[in-house]
Order: sequence, then structure tokens, then C-alpha cells
Amino acid sequence: MKRRSVEAEARIENLKRFGACLAGGFVLALMVGTQEGTQQDFGYAFRQSVAMPRILIFLGIGVLLYLAITFGPRAKPYLTRPGLRPLGAGVLTVIISLTLLKWTDSPQINTGKFRPLADAAAPTQALDSLARLWFGSAFSQTAWLLLIIVTVLAAAGMIRRSAPLSYAAAILAGVLGIWAEYASAAVSKFLHYPSHATGGAVAMLGFFTIAVASLVSARSQAAEADTDGFIDRVLGWRPGLALVVLGFAVGLVGVFNAAWFSPGDRNATLSTTASMFGATNLNGFAQTYLDWLGFVLFFVTLVVAGVASYLRHRLLAYAAIVLGLVSTLLTLVVVHDFSALGGKQGFDGAQGAWDNLGTGAWMTCAALSLFAGAGYLVLKDLRIEAKGVRAGSDIVGSGTAGARGQVAAATMLVVIIAALFYPPTATEFWQTVLVSEIGIYVLLAIGLNVVVGWAGLLDLGFIAFYAIGSYTTAYFTGRLPVQPPDWLLLSPLACIPFAIAACLIAGVALGFPTLRLRGDYLAIVTLGFGEIIRVIANNANGFTNGPRGAFNIPAPQIHLGPIHLTWGDSALGFWYLLLVLIAIIVLLFNRLENSRLGRAWAAIREDEVAAQATGINTRNVKLLAFAIGASTSGVAGVFFASQVGSFTPENFVLNNSILVVAYVVFGGMGSLPGAMAGAAVLTWLPEFLKDQVPAEDRQMWIGALILVMMIFRPAGLIPARRRKAELSGLDRPSSAEATAVPAGEGM
Amino acid sequence: MTATAPEQQTAEVVYDVKDVTLRFGGVTSLNKVSLQMHRGEILAVIGPNGAGKTSLFNSLTGVYTPQEGSITLAARKGDTLTSVLGQKTHVINRMGVARTFQNIRLFPALTALENVKVGVETRQKSGPIASMLGMPWQRREERESTEKAYELLRFVGLTRRANDLAGSLAYGEQRRLEIARALGTEPGVILLDEPAAGTNPNEKQELAALIRKVNIEDNISVLLIEHDMKLVMSVAHRLVVLNFGEKIAEGTPEQIQKDPVVVAAYLGTSEDEAQAMTEGLEVQTIDVREGLLDEPGAAGTEGGQS
Repeated sequence: MKRRSVEAEARIENLKRFGACLAGGFVLALMVGTQEGTQQDFGYAFRQSVAMPRILIFLGIGVLLYLAITFGPRAKPYLTRPGLRPLGAGVLTVIISLTLLKWTDSPQINTGKFRPLADAAAPTQALDSLARLWFGSAFSQTAWLLLIIVTVLAAAGMIRRSAPLSYAAAILAGVLGIWAEYASAAVSKFLHYPSHATGGAVAMLGFFTIAVASLVSARSQAAEADTDGFIDRVLGWRPGLALVVLGFAVGLVGVFNAAWFSPGDRNATLSTTASMFGATNLNGFAQTYLDWLGFVLFFVTLVVAGVASYLRHRLLAYAAIVLGLVSTLLTLVVVHDFSALGGKQGFDGAQGAWDNLGTGAWMTCAALSLFAGAGYLVLKDLRIEAKGVRAGSDIVGSGTAGARGQVAAATMLVVIIAALFYPPTATEFWQTVLVSEIGIYVLLAIGLNVVVGWAGLLDLGFIAFYAIGSYTTAYFTGRLPVQPPDWLLLSPLACIPFAIAACLIAGVALGFPTLRLRGDYLAIVTLGFGEIIRVIANNANGFTNGPRGAFNIPAPQIHLGPIHLTWGDSALGFWYLLLVLIAIIVLLFNRLENSRLGRAWAAIREDEVAAQATGINTRNVKLLAFAIGASTSGVAGVFFASQVGSFTPENFVLNNSILVVAYVVFGGMGSLPGAMAGAAVLTWLPEFLKDQVPAEDRQMWIGALILVMMIFRPAGLIPARRRKAELSGLDRPSSAEATAVPAGEGM
Repeated sequence: MTATAPEQQTAEVVYDVKDVTLRFGGVTSLNKVSLQMHRGEILAVIGPNGAGKTSLFNSLTGVYTPQEGSITLAARKGDTLTSVLGQKTHVINRMGVARTFQNIRLFPALTALENVKVGVETRQKSGPIASMLGMPWQRREERESTEKAYELLRFVGLTRRANDLAGSLAYGEQRRLEIARALGTEPGVILLDEPAAGTNPNEKQELAALIRKVNIEDNISVLLIEHDMKLVMSVAHRLVVLNFGEKIAEGTPEQIQKDPVVVAAYLGTSEDEAQAMTEGLEVQTIDVREGLLDEPGAAGTEGGQS
């Protein structure tokens, strides 16, 4: 009797769940639907959303969800098999490339995504036949079909633990990856349209991920996956080697395939460029470089760096560094020389030095710098080893920590090199985004990280300091209704110290009366402060020019003896200026984090009462956090003002403050690289999605990403060392605990 | 068993507490408490739960400011007595008073070494700009603080755990780390708030040894709040007994053990009855001596940690 009622209850529960899942699918159909409605017909959007074939798909999603919830636990043991997680990531990447990303920028193809491209390409007889096959066949789009086949094959190999199946899947996935990129390139060639579209490359990446996952699964003996550990082991084995391989891949394309000059028109590779300038009076060295020296330098550096990384040889490592840096410089000199000449001769509409260049030279530079980076990693490795031997038993578990540090250093080098050599190859749109969105918010996130991440004080009015920095610049360059005395009119970069001072003062002024507040209360007060500054800026017409804001702020200039640098028309110049500012601030803050003050911040964040009892003047230490964070924001303000030239109080709304907090939390509170990465990713994403999804849906995708992130990685993109250690370190068994007896029982 | 007090002729006053009264609204937590602590001694404050021990501690370290009375301090040798009333906690710490907490308050996300360094560095000078630029004197201070922190970890026997997170240490280790952090601030007086709570008998013995070591080797005066009578009686030179916010007795461990008022306080009976009991029931006094006074509160904290 009782048993039956339990069963009945379970059945009802099941039905309820099924209903809820269907309802979820229905709601999703409404949410992802067209957002159009007219004054006359409010029901339009609704009818569109529930139109017949469409609603079935979404209800199907609901059914899938139900099945996943109901049978998920039973499948769980299979889901921890090695390779399944990377397989999932790979398949997802391919799906994204096939649905969201553009495969071509050519205006001939509507939206440029895979499906319209496939529709257009499949029947085109003149297109390369392999590419044609990729885009379509009797079974509509081949790519989708192949993706399903390879996924099933790989998953079967992993779940049944069959090595032959996994090998087959790996080979198939590898071939598909190359095929995808090949088809994408063929289309570009066919359309005569140089492409910045990422679809083909991302699909290749996804397929290669599937291939690697299958290979790992085929070779793995383990029953449970340890993906993170695996990645650490592979990258930590010879940290330099990863950079060498990357440099080799990038450099190969750069030297042989990519355009060095006149992209989009002639697409001249290195050797074509050489013959192009052969007839001109290009100086001897540059001509030699284009003719053969470029290739030789690349391969010599490659070999030296590779051998140095593999053997961990000190002298070779030094040689790799010197060779890499010198040949990077030589490449830049040559690029300057021939592009300047090309401009003089008016080749393909070149205007002057650094104009009308392709990606090739920059890729080569990146490759050569990567080789130098590999040499640096070898030296670092040797230094860590020597130190480990000297410090002896004092350092516990330094082996893995060392390896992890090396992986971090390698990643950092790649990011720096990308930051140096990617922007020149980007389109003007992305260069502008890099400067006015990504770069500036990275700077702001670094500043806020001091306050929120290190000192643990939630500041919701951070953008106010940015405003103060901007208005200070406007004042000292004489662009506000109130003018400074003539002798104090400054060029924008000279405003930096004044902006820092103004923000320091504002930071202290805000902090002094409010820092006795904690947590939520402090957040509310800072929020109010931010609004006060904005309202003042908006209303103090006589001082700030009110809602019209400040305009005509000059671009930065540097005149130092023989050096004359001016910024103005190109975003690229601003990017390098910003890079220098960020580099300086990161260097300084990195020292600060591991100093007396950094530890004091950590102490008050962890336990304010204990910090006080240990003799820390908590008020001063908090004030310093506010002031230092604020001054970073002041620097960002100066840069912003002189870059955009005009701004209004609308640039400093509350929303921006909240965004910066979100960036820091998303990236990893208290982690300098984390805050930077968080800001970079979350400012890049909306711009990226602009091309890929309908404008109304953009915020939804970003929200979804943040949501997923906070569920699966609550400590952020790159968790702080201290917090990360806290999360993973506490479950490490401590030797003494095993012998400890609770006091009561011991008596 | 019981240690003898240092010679009385050198009885220089470290803490002078006079008629201190502390009230929270209508509740009187300390009522005209007076006591003197002498340089180089280990003074224990005992009393049942709610007797006002921790209130006294918090008044001594500036967390609370008593409404009446005076508290003066001359923590280090050669200091003159200065009032601590109204001073901030960190200022009193800088005057030479370090403390530990009843419920351990380390910085769990920092390593053991970093915890001690935080203490050591509160005595250093270099500011943020020197740190950012890596000035030579800042580097020297950094090196000094690391060396001193290692030295202190060795002193409390935690060298091997230097690079482990404080939060991952065993309970007894955390207690010792807290003492190391307190010692890092170069105190003349150290206040230990129930250092033995939640530790096992082995750890208790180590702790007693450590307290004596701190007292003798570093010549630091120790003020101790403790429930564990065995520990108190073996370590303390002198005891002060509080009950309901009033000082009811003061003296050497031997004197206190025999004091009928103390016994009564611990047994929770009136003075007359206690008198009768100490005469009649010898067993009860032994109870006090043996430290079988596991109050619910203390047991609770222990339970939470095991």
C-alpha cells in the first residue's frame, strides 16, 4: 500500500518535471523570438514565436532537457571518461562556427555565415570541388553530417573504451579540420575577397580539439579524466617548446603564405614582395632581407630556440633571445624601408611608411619574438631549478608550483606578443575597439581590482574617478569654461600627474568619512559618490560646461629633445601608448601585491579585527587602496579624454561602474591577470557579437556567458593565487590533523 | 609543579588597571576591577563563563572603552605608564601589546609565513611608492621580514608548514601560528585568550612549554585567559579570579586553589554554602584543581573544531 503511493508520487513528480521542461521550451521560444510588435498588432511577436515548425524545435529542446535531467545521473559514470569533456568543447566550438560565426566578409554573401554561404557555394561549379563538397551535397550540408559522424564515432570510442574507434575518430577529425580551413580559404580565393572572418579557422580549431580528445582517450589508461592535470603536464614538460611550436606555425604562414604588401589587391607574399621591389632602388640590406635573409633568420632562430628548449641549454637560450629580438627589429626596419619606398612610388595606393601592409611581416615578427620568449623560459626554468635546490626542504611542493608558474609565464609571453603584433593586422574597426573599449576598461579593471580584489572594499562608484581624471585633463588643456593660468596650460600627457593627484585627493575625501562602513553600506555610499560626481558634472555649467561636456581636447604629444611623437588619426598609435601605460602600471602593481602593503590589504580583507590587533592601521591601509585604485582610474581618464577629444557626463553613468565591477569579478577578484582578462573578454564580446547575432540578443548572450561562468568557475577566469589556493588547499590532508584528538575526548 | 613568581623586588608594573567599570546598556560587564600586572610574570585571569574575562581583555586592547576607571600601560622595559583608554587597537598594539583570539583569527588565505610577515611588517616603514619601485631599502626590509618570520616559525615549531595556507593547518598549529604572528609585532606584553581551547593533551603540553619559553627567552609578560586549570596552575605565576564582572580573588596558584570564595564561584553557590562545602566536601576542591570544569561553552567550541 505504502509502496504503491511512493511509486505514484514518483510518477507524479516525473510528470511535473516533464511539464516544467515543456514550459521551459515554450518560454525559450518566446524569448529567442523576434522582438517586433507594432502599435496595431501587439500579438505579432507572439504568433511568430509559436508558429508551427518553430515551436516544435523549442518543445524538442524541452524534451531533451527532461531526458537529460531524468537519465543524467545514470550516464554520469560515463561522463567522467577521459576525453569526453574536451570532445564536448570541440563539438561546441564547431557548432558555434557553423551557426554563429561569419565564414566570409564578402558583401556578396548575405550575413556571411555558414548557411547562406553554403547555399550559395554548393551549386557553384567554378568553385574548387573539395570546397564545394564541404558546403553541400545531396544530403544538404556535408559539414553538419560529418560533424555528427565524427562526434558519434569519438563518443563511442570513449564510452566503449575502444582504441581503434578513437584512432579512427582522431584521424577523421584531423582531416575535417584541414578540410574546413581549406574550404574557407577556397571561398576567399574564389570571391577575391581577403577575409577576416573567423568561421573556418574556428571550425578547424574545434575539429582539432576533437582529434586531440580522441587521441588522448585512445592512449589513456585512466578510468577518470584529469584534463587540467594533463594540460599542466603537457605544457609544463618543456615550457619553451610550446612557444617554439606556436612560433613555427605562425612564422611558417607569415614567411611563405601571408601577404607582406598590398593586401586585398596583390597579396604579395615575402618572395613576391622581393621581386616587386627588385627593380626599385630599395637599400641593399632591405633587398637582401626580402630576397633570402628573412627566411634564413626565421629558420636559424627556429632551430636555435627549439634545440635550446629541448636540451635546456643556457648558452643556446641566450642565443635564441638575442637572435629573436634582433631579427624582430631587423624585420621592422625592413618593413619600414620598403613600405616607405612603396609609398613614395605610389605602389597600389600606398601612402607612406607602414601603409598598405599585410599580415605577413607581423606574423613573422610574432614568431621571432616567440622564439626569444622560448629562450627566456629556458633561462627561467634553469633559475627555478637552481633556487629549488638551494632552498631545500623549506619549499613544499615547489615542483608543481614551478611548472604552473612556467605555464603562466608562457601564456603571458604569448599575450604580450599578440598585443604587440596583432593590432596592426586588425581592421580599423577592431583597432578602435581595442583602444577605446578593451584597453581603457582593462586599465580601469586593474585599478578597481586594487580596491575590490585586494582590499575587499566594494566600490560601486569607481567611474567617478575616471570622470575626475577626464575633467582634470580638460581643465589643464584649457577646454573647460574655467581656465587655468596661462603658464599651467599643459599637453595631455603632462596632465597625468595632476589627474593622479586629483584622484588621490578625491579618493581620500571619499574614503576618510566612509571607510568605517563595511560591505554593503560602503557599496551604497560609493554608489552615491559616483552619482554625485556625475550630477555635478552635468549641472555645474560654469565649471564643467554641463551636459555639453568638454570638446576639442588635443591629442597627446611628446617632445623630448630629438624625439617628437604625436598621436592623432590612427587608433594604432593610441594602442601602443596605452600598452606602455598598462605595462608600467602592471609592473608597479605586481610589486605592490607582494609587498608589505599588499599583504596588509589581504589581511584586512580576510579579518579586519585580527588585522587591527596585529597593529595594522586599517584606516590608512584602506585609504591607500582607495587612493591607488582611484589614481589608476585617473590615468585612464587622461588617456580617454585626449583620445576621444570630447566627452560628456553621459560617459560616466552608473552602468559603467557596475560593468567594471562585473569585469573584475568575471576575471577573478584579486588577480591582476584575471581582472585584465575579464575586462578584455567582456568588452571584446559585445563588439564581436555585433556581427554575429541580432542586436537585440547581444545582451542575452553576454548574460548567459556570465551566468555559466559564475556557476562553473565562481573564482573567475584566472583565479587569484591566494583565493585559488584557498579553494584547493583546504582539502589537502594536513599531516598533523590525523593525530589530533578532540579535546573533550582526550581528557 | 607550579612555577614561582619572579622576584618581587623587580616588580615593575606593566599594566595598571584601576577601578575599571564597563557597561553595555544596563548590563555591567566589569565592576570596579583593579589589578596590576608585573614585568616578566605570567598572570592568568580565570573565572566562569560570563565572568568578564574577555571584556577585560577587550578593554586592555582598546576594543572596548570602559566608562570608569583607568588603565595604564608600560609594555616595554623603560616605558613610562601611559593611559590606553580611548586609544585605537592598532595604536595599543604598537605600544607593545600583542594578542591572540579565543576563536582563532588568522588570515586563512595567506600562508603561515605571510601571516607572520604581516605581524612583523607592521613595524616597518617602507611605503607604497618604495614598494612599487622596488627601492633598495624596501627590498632589505622585505628580506628582513622574511628572515624574522622564518625565525619565529622555527620558534613555535612550524618551519615545515611555512608555505602552507594558514587555513589548512591543524588546530594546534593554528594556535601556535597565532602566537608567532603576535610575537612578530615585538610586544612587551602578550595577551593569550584561551590558547588551549580545542587542543588535545599533547598539544596542551607543547603549548605550556611554548608559553614558558615566550616568557623566559623573550622576556615577555604574559596575560592568560584559560579554562584549563591544569594548564593555568602549571604555567601561571599569579592568578586573578573574576566572577560576575568583579574581582573575587588574586594570588598564587596555591592560594587560589584553597580560596573558598573561588570554589564557591565555580560551584555556583552562595558564599556560606561554599564555605561549608570546602570544609565538608574535599572532593569538590580537587575538581577545581584537576580542571574538570568543562563548561558548555568551552565544550561547544571544541566540538566545532574537531
